[in-house]
Amino acid sequence: MKRRLTNWIAAACMALPLTGIAATAEPVLIGLIYPTPVADVGWAKQLDLGREAVEEAFGDRVTTRVVENIPEGPDASRVVNQLVADGAKFVVLGSFGYMNDGLRLAQRSPDVDFIHASGFRQAENFGTFTARSYEAFYLAGMAAGMVTESNTIGIVAAFAIPEVIAEVNAITLAARKENPDVNIRIVWVNSWFDPAREQEAARAVISQGADVVFSLHQDTPSVVNVAQAEGVYVVNTGSDMSAHGPDAVLGSVVHDWSSYFVEAVGASLEGNFEGHDERGGLASGAVSVQAWNDVLTEEQMARINETEAALISGEAHVFAGPLKDQSGTERVAEGEALPDPEIFAMNWLVEGLTGSLPQ
Amino acid sequence: MGTTLVFLLSGTLLAATPLLLAAMGELIVERAGILNLSIEGMMALGAVVGFATIMATGSHWLALGNQVATGIAVGILGLGLSGLIGKPYEGMTVAPMKRIPIPVLSEIPIIGPGLFNHSALVYLAPLLAVGLWWMLRSTRIGLIIRAVGESPESAHAIGYSVLMTRFLAVMVGGFMAGLAGAFIATVSATLWSDGMIAGRGWIVVALVVFATWRVDRLVIGAWLFGLATIAELLVQGAGISVPSQLLTSIPYIATIIAISILSMDGRKMRLNAPASLGRTYNSTA
Repeated sequence: MKRRLTNWIAAACMALPLTGIAATAEPVLIGLIYPTPVADVGWAKQLDLGREAVEEAFGDRVTTRVVENIPEGPDASRVVNQLVADGAKFVVLGSFGYMNDGLRLAQRSPDVDFIHASGFRQAENFGTFTARSYEAFYLAGMAAGMVTESNTIGIVAAFAIPEVIAEVNAITLAARKENPDVNIRIVWVNSWFDPAREQEAARAVISQGADVVFSLHQDTPSVVNVAQAEGVYVVNTGSDMSAHGPDAVLGSVVHDWSSYFVEAVGASLEGNFEGHDERGGLASGAVSVQAWNDVLTEEQMARINETEAALISGEAHVFAGPLKDQSGTERVAEGEALPDPEIFAMNWLVEGLTGSLPQ
Repeated sequence: MGTTLVFLLSGTLLAATPLLLAAMGELIVERAGILNLSIEGMMALGAVVGFATIMATGSHWLALGNQVATGIAVGILGLGLSGLIGKPYEGMTVAPMKRIPIPVLSEIPIIGPGLFNHSALVYLAPLLAVGLWWMLRSTRIGLIIRAVGESPESAHAIGYSVLMTRFLAVMVGGFMAGLAGAFIATVSATLWSDGMIAGRGWIVVALVVFATWRVDRLVIGAWLFGLATIAELLVQGAGISVPSQLLTSIPYIATIIAISILSMDGRKMRLNAPASLGRTYNSTA
C-alpha cells in the first residue's frame, strides 16, 4: 500500500511538468455552475445558450464543463473549488448565492477569472453580470395596461430582492401610464423554485380578478400553464415560453448572455479580463421582450416599439422623475432619473402599490 | 369576491390532498414502529415516474397506479434518482386530469365549484382516511400493525412476523408517498421539474407528529395546512400589509406550537406515539 502510494506520488510529480508544457496547446477549460437543471426553458437554459455561444466563438481554443442543479451553499463551494482544481481558467457562477464563496476562491486563485450572475462585489478577476430586466418589463407592463379588461394585473414574484422590486415598479409605472385605473396585486412566493406554489399564487391573483399575470423569475412554465388553462394573459421571465401558452403569453422577457459571455471569455483568453459590473439592457440585447401576442394591435405595438427605441437611445428612462414611493415621499425629482446604484439597491415600491415588501 | 372564495376552497383541497395522501402512508409506517424520513425522495420519485408514465401512455390513472413499483424501490435514493430519470422531462407539461363535478352538490354556489369539482383523487383522499381510521381501529390488520409498533416483542411472541408487517407497512407508505408526488406532478402542477416537491415531504413528517398519530387529526391538520398556504397567498394578493415571510411560515409555526403544546404533557405524547417508534427490532433476540 505504502509502496503504491509512493509510486503514485512519483508518477504525479513526473506528470506535473508535462501538463505545464501541454497547457499551451490544450484548450482552456471553462467551468459553469448553474443553480437549476438545464431544461427546455428557464434561467439555466439561457446561461447555457451563452455557453454554446462561447464554444462557437472560440472553437478548439476552449472546452466547457457544466455542473448543473447545484444549490447555493457548501455544495456549490465544493463544486467550484473542484472546477478550479481541475484547471478551469474561467468560471461562470450562475446564481446570486455563489457570490461570497466565489469571491473568496477568486482571491485565492489570481490566475482564474470569474463572472457571477448578479451580486454587488467585484475584484480584479471577479466580475458580476446583471440584466436591466426592468427595461423589458416596462415594455411588457405597457402591453399589460393595454390589454387588461378587469384593470387588474397580478404579479407572482420570487423574492423581494432589488432586481425583482425594480421589475415590479417598472411594470406598475408602465401599466399605470397606459391605463391609470390599473390595480396591481403582488404575491411574493418567497422561493426561487416551487412550481406547485407558484401556480397556487397565480390562481390566487386570478381569482382576485387579474386578467394579466406576470411570472417574475419562475424557471418553469408553471404560471404560464395556469394562465393558459384559466384564459388570462401572462408575461414570463427567462425564455420564450409561448410554446407552453400559445394564447396566454403576452410576451416573454428573455435573457441573452451570449454576447457578454463571448466578450468576457475573449478578454480572459487575451489576459486582459477586468472584473466589473456588467449591466446589459435593451440596448446591449442582454434582455428583450419576445413572442409578443397577436392581440396587441399594430398601433399598440408601434407605441411599445417607440418606447423601446427611446429607452435604448437613453432619451427615456424607466425611473424618470417625478417619482414617489408608496408613502408619497418623492424619490426622484422632476427632470431627473434614478441613478444606477439606487436602481440596483431598490427597496421601495412606487406610489399606488399596496402591500408591504418582505424585509 | 365569489371567485376568490371558490379558489380558497378548491386551492385548499388541492394543496392538502398530496399532503394527506403521503401523511396517511407515513402514519401507517410509524404506527408499525418505523420512522421513515425518506418521504421527500419517495414523493420526488413518484412525481417523475408518474410524469414519465403520462408522457408514455397519456393515462393519468396508470401514472398514479404505477406507484406500487416505485414505493418498493426507494429510500434516500429517491431524490437523486428522480433527477436522473427526469432529465429528459425537465420543464415539460402534461394536460391536467379531468375533473369530475359531483352531481347536485357541485351546483351549490361557491361551495359547489370550490369543493365538489375536482379530479377523483381529491375526493378519494378523505375517503381513504376514513378507511384507514377504521382499519387501524377495528380490523385485525390494524391491530397487528399497532401491536408491532407498540411492542414488537409481544407481537413476535404471539406469532406475527414483525419484519413482514413492517416491510408491508413501508411499502404502503412508499406507495402513498409516490401517489402524492405523482399527484403534484400530474394533477395539480401538470409539470415536472427536479426539486419540485420543495420540502413537502418534511411537512408530511411534521404533520404526522402534529396529528399525534391519529387519522382524524391528520385530516384536519392537512386541511389546515392547505388552508394556511392558500390564505397566505390571497392575503398578499389583496395587498394587506403583513410581512409575507411571516405568513409563509405560519403553517410551520403552527406545527411547532402544536408539538410544543402536546409535548408539554409528556404522558399524552407518549400515550399516542407508538412505543417502539424508531427502535431497532431484532427478531432473533
